[in-house]
Amino acid sequence: MSKELIRLQNLTMEFDGERILDGINLYINDHEFLTLLGPSGCGKTTTLRIIGGFLTPTSGEVLFDGQRTNDVPPYKRQVNTIFQRYALFPHLDVYDNIAFGLRVAKLSKAEIQERVTEMLAIVGLKGYEHRRIDNLSGGQQQRVAIARALVNRPKVLLLDEPLAALDLRLRKDMQNELKRIQQAMGITFVYVTHDQEEALSMSDTVVVMDKGRIQQIGKPEDIYNEPKNAFVADFIGESNILDGVMLEDYKVKFFGRVFNCLDAGFAPNEPVDVVIRPEDIDFVPPEEGHLVGTVTSVTFKGLNYDIIVDFRGFKWLIQTTDYQSVGAKVGIRLNPEDIHVMKKSEYSGMFGDYSSYSAEYDELTEDADDEEE
Amino acid sequence: MKKANKLITVLIFIFLYIPMAVLIIGSFNEGKSLSSFEGFTLRQYAELFRDKDLLALLGNSLLISILATAIATAFGTFAAVGIYNLKPKMRKAVMSLTNIPMTNPDIVTGISLSLLFVFIGTGMLGNKQSLNFWTLLIAHITFSLPYVLLNVMPKLQQMNPALKDAAMDLGCTPLHSFFKVTIHEIMPGIVSGAIMAFTMSLDDFVISYFVTGSDFVTLPVKIYSFTKKPIHPKVYAMFTLLFALIFVLMVTMNLLQLRSDKKKTQSRTKPESRAMRTFKRVGAIACVVILLAGTVFLFAVTRQNKITLNVMNWGQNIADGSDGTLDIIEAFEDKYPHIQVNYSEYASNEELYSKLSNGGLVVDVIIPSDYMIARMINENMLLPLDFDNIPNYKNVLETYKNQAYDPENKYSVPYTWGTVGIIYNSKYVSEEDVTGWDLLWNEKYAKKILMFDNSRDAFGIAAYKLGIDVNTTDKAELQKCADALAKQQPLVQQYVMDQVYEKMIEGNAWIAPYYAGDAMMMMDENPDLRFYLPENQNFNLFIDAMCIPTCSQEKEAAELFIDFMCNPEVSGANMDYICYGSPIDGATEYMEEYLAESEIIYPPVETLERGSSYAFLPEEITRYVENLFMKVRLPAEPSPPSEDSPDILPTVVITLCAAAVFGTFLYAKAKRKKKS
Repeated sequence: MSKELIRLQNLTMEFDGERILDGINLYINDHEFLTLLGPSGCGKTTTLRIIGGFLTPTSGEVLFDGQRTNDVPPYKRQVNTIFQRYALFPHLDVYDNIAFGLRVAKLSKAEIQERVTEMLAIVGLKGYEHRRIDNLSGGQQQRVAIARALVNRPKVLLLDEPLAALDLRLRKDMQNELKRIQQAMGITFVYVTHDQEEALSMSDTVVVMDKGRIQQIGKPEDIYNEPKNAFVADFIGESNILDGVMLEDYKVKFFGRVFNCLDAGFAPNEPVDVVIRPEDIDFVPPEEGHLVGTVTSVTFKGLNYDIIVDFRGFKWLIQTTDYQSVGAKVGIRLNPEDIHVMKKSEYSGMFGDYSSYSAEYDELTEDADDEEE
Repeated sequence: MKKANKLITVLIFIFLYIPMAVLIIGSFNEGKSLSSFEGFTLRQYAELFRDKDLLALLGNSLLISILATAIATAFGTFAAVGIYNLKPKMRKAVMSLTNIPMTNPDIVTGISLSLLFVFIGTGMLGNKQSLNFWTLLIAHITFSLPYVLLNVMPKLQQMNPALKDAAMDLGCTPLHSFFKVTIHEIMPGIVSGAIMAFTMSLDDFVISYFVTGSDFVTLPVKIYSFTKKPIHPKVYAMFTLLFALIFVLMVTMNLLQLRSDKKKTQSRTKPESRAMRTFKRVGAIACVVILLAGTVFLFAVTRQNKITLNVMNWGQNIADGSDGTLDIIEAFEDKYPHIQVNYSEYASNEELYSKLSNGGLVVDVIIPSDYMIARMINENMLLPLDFDNIPNYKNVLETYKNQAYDPENKYSVPYTWGTVGIIYNSKYVSEEDVTGWDLLWNEKYAKKILMFDNSRDAFGIAAYKLGIDVNTTDKAELQKCADALAKQQPLVQQYVMDQVYEKMIEGNAWIAPYYAGDAMMMMDENPDLRFYLPENQNFNLFIDAMCIPTCSQEKEAAELFIDFMCNPEVSGANMDYICYGSPIDGATEYMEEYLAESEIIYPPVETLERGSSYAFLPEEITRYVENLFMKVRLPAEPSPPSEDSPDILPTVVITLCAAAVFGTFLYAKAKRKKKS
C-alpha cells in the first residue's frame, strides 16, 4: 500500500503487577484503516491509549515516522482521538467544541471559521453551530466528535468504540459514513471495537487480540477464511471446531473418517483443530452423507435457519435455507474447500461446540461485552 | 399520614424561621424592647447608615470574608484536583484528614491557631503585635478550605475523566486543560464551596475571637462585646440586611441550579443565544464587582491613611453619643483628624491583665483600676508618661494625684473615680434588711443574689464585712474571707461582671454589689433599683486611671488622647454617660445637674471618709487569693435551669433537632411507602 507510519515494538503494559499487554508488535501504514478487534479486557483500548499518548508502556517502543515517541505527551502528537461516548465539552456549543483544538493552536479567527464550517459540512451538521451538546441526538454527538478530531487534520485518528452507544440502524449508517470520510480525507484510522462485523466491513487490516496478545493480523477475508486458531475462528463468525489429525498434506482425519482438504505444511499425524463454518455445510440425504446426525433444534433467523445437528454426541451449528424438522435424520457432505485446518493452540477445545447453543447466543454475548466496557 | 407530614414540614419551617422573623420585626420596631411592637419605623436603618463604626466593622467582616473566600476557593480547588489525582486509597485517606478540621470544635481550632500565631510571631519573629489582620485572614482561609474541598471533590468525581483526555488530545497541556475544561465542569462545586466558605467566614465568632488583634475586629467579635446593655436595635437592622443578602444569594443560586437542571431534561428547540449567555456571565461578574465595590466603599468612608490608636477600656465606660451624650471618640477624631481610634473593651482588671501579659496585642491606652496599676508598674508593663504632652494634667484635682498605687504619678492620669456599693430591687427587698454588707449574705434572698466575678472585689467585700484590712497579706485573714465567701456561695445565683445589667434590669436577680456609676445606669433602665453604701462599714473607693502599656506603638497619640480626656468639658460630657465621679476640676459644670448633685456619684464627704482603696498586693498573695476564689466559686455552676431563662435554650434546641429528625424520618418513610 504505502509507507509505514506507526510501529509498536515488543510493547508490554502492566498495571499493579497485572500484565495487560504482552509483547505487542504491530505496524500501521499511512492511509490505512486498521482495526483492533477483541473481547473486553483484551488490551485493545490500552494499545490505543498508548498510541494516543495517554499511557506510557511499561516496556517496548512506540515509533512514529521512525521516531521514538514513548514519552511524548498527547498534546504534542499529531494524533486525535474519538473517545467512547465522545467526551464532548458540555459547556461549549457545537461550533466551540469543533473549534477547540484550533483555538488552542492559536489559529486566526478567519481560518478557524473556515475550517469549522468546512468540517460541519463534511459531517452534515450545517445549521447546528450554536446548539448545545445536551440537545443533540447520539448520532449528532458522534458527528461532532468526528468533526472535533478531524478539524485538526491529524495524521492518525484513533477511534475507541465510537459507535458502541448508537442503535443498530444508526451504527450501520455511521460505519459507511466513517469509511467515506476516511477515504475522502486520506487519514490513517486506528479503530477499536469488539464488534467483528464492524471490523470486517470497514477495515483494511484487522488485528485480533485476546489476553494482551495479538492472535492474528490480516485482511478481513483472510481472518475469516483462514483463522489461525480456535479463538479467532470462534470470535470471527460462527465455527464448528473439531479435533482432527493431519495424516499428510491435504488429508485430514476426524470423526473416524479421512477428508480431503486444501491445507498442507503440517507434520505427519499432527493433531490439529478443524474448522467448518456453519454456512458452508449442505444437507444431503442420509445415505449419501459423509456424516449422519439427528436434528435437535431449529431456529428461524430470517435469512436462514440455525439448525443444531447431533453427530455422535458432538453438536454442530449449521446455517442453511433448507428447513429440517427436529428429530429428522440428516446427512452432510464436506468438500475440501469447506474444511480449514489449524494448528493446536491454548484455545483448542474451548470453542466450537454448540451443545449449549441457544437462540439468544449473539445478543447475550454482545450485552455482556457492553457492560464490561 | 400525608396531612401529618405537611403539618410537620410547616412546623419545622416555623421553628427554623421564627427567630429570623423576630429579628426582622425588631429591626422595624419603634420601641427599643423586643417584647412589644410599638409601631413601624425605618429609623434603625437610618441610624445604622449613620454609624460609621458599625459600617466599618461590617466592612472589616466583608473584607476578611471576601479575601478568605477567594483565596480558600482558589487553593481548595487546586488542592481538590491534586487530591483527586492521587491513587484511590491515598485520596480517601487525605480526604478524611481534610475533613477533620470541620468537625473539630471551633474553640479548639481558635485556640490552637492563636497559640501558633503567637508562637511564631512573638516567639520566633519577636513581633510585638503577632495577632493582626493577617493572622485573622490566615485563620479564616484555614477553616474555609475544607468546605471548598468538600464541594469541589464530588464534582471532580462526577466529571467524565475522558473530558480531560479529550482536551489534551486537542493540544492542551494539563494545566491548560484544567482552565479550559475541568474548571467549567466543576464550577457548580466551586461556587457552592465559595458560598459556603463565605457564610462560614462571615459569621465566624469563636475562631476570630482568638486570632484577631485589637487593630482589626470583625463584626461578630464586636457584637459579642456588647454585653452590658441590650444590643442596640440598629444592629438588628444590620442583621436583617445581612440575612436578606444571604437569602437572596441562596435563592438565586438555587433558581439557577433549577433552571439548568430543567434545561438538561427538556431538550429545548430554541438554542440559547450568545447574547443571553454573555448577559448571564456579565450578571455574575457584576454581582462580585458590586460586593467588592461595597467593601472598598465601606473602607473608603470609614478609614483613610491615619494613625491607629488602640484604646482599651471597660465595657460601656465612655460616652458614645447615644441618648444625646457626646461621642467622645468622634470628638477626639474630629479634633485630631490624623488619628483613627480603634476602641475595644474588657470586663475586668484581671481580663485586661491577662490579655496584655499573653502578648500578641498592640494597645496604646488602657484604663485599669488602682491596684492593677500598681501591679502593672511593679511588673514593668507600663511606660512613663511625658507630661509635656499632657498640658491638661493641670486640671486634675490634687486629691487624685500621687495616689498610693503610683506615688510619684509617673505612669497614670485619673479617668474616673467611684465607689462600690450594693444595688437592690426595692420591689422585692424590704428596707429593714438594707443595712450593711450583710444583705449579700441574707438567706431570705437566696438565689437572687449576684456576686462579683473577680477575686479582688469579692474578697474586698468579704473583708469589709468582717472588718478585716482590705489590703491584708495575712493568709489566715484571707482564709477567713474565703470562708465567708464559701458560706455565701449557696445563696449566689451567679458570679457576674457585666451580666449584672441584664439580670438586675430584668429583675431576675434582686441584690448585687457593683460600681456606683453602673448602678446609676441600671437605675435609669429600672426605676425600682436603689443603690447604697453600707452604713458604718468600709467600702471600696476606686480610681480608674489612663496608662500607656509597654506594647504601645503610638505613645504620642496616646498622650494626646489622655490630654483630651483631661479637658473639663470632655470629662464632664463623658461622666454624663458613664455616671462616675470626674477627677477633673470644673468637670461638674459641664455635667447634667442631677448627676453633678447625685449622692451616689458624689457621696457626702463624711461618707467618703469610710472609703478605702485597694493597694498593690505581692504577686504571691494575688495568686493565693485567686486560687481561694476559684475554689469558692466552683460548686456554684450550673444554676438550676428553671430559675434562668437562657437555660431553656438547650432544651429548645434539642426539641427542635428531635422534631427535625423525626420529621425527616416520617417523610422518608412515607415516600418509601408511596413508591412501593
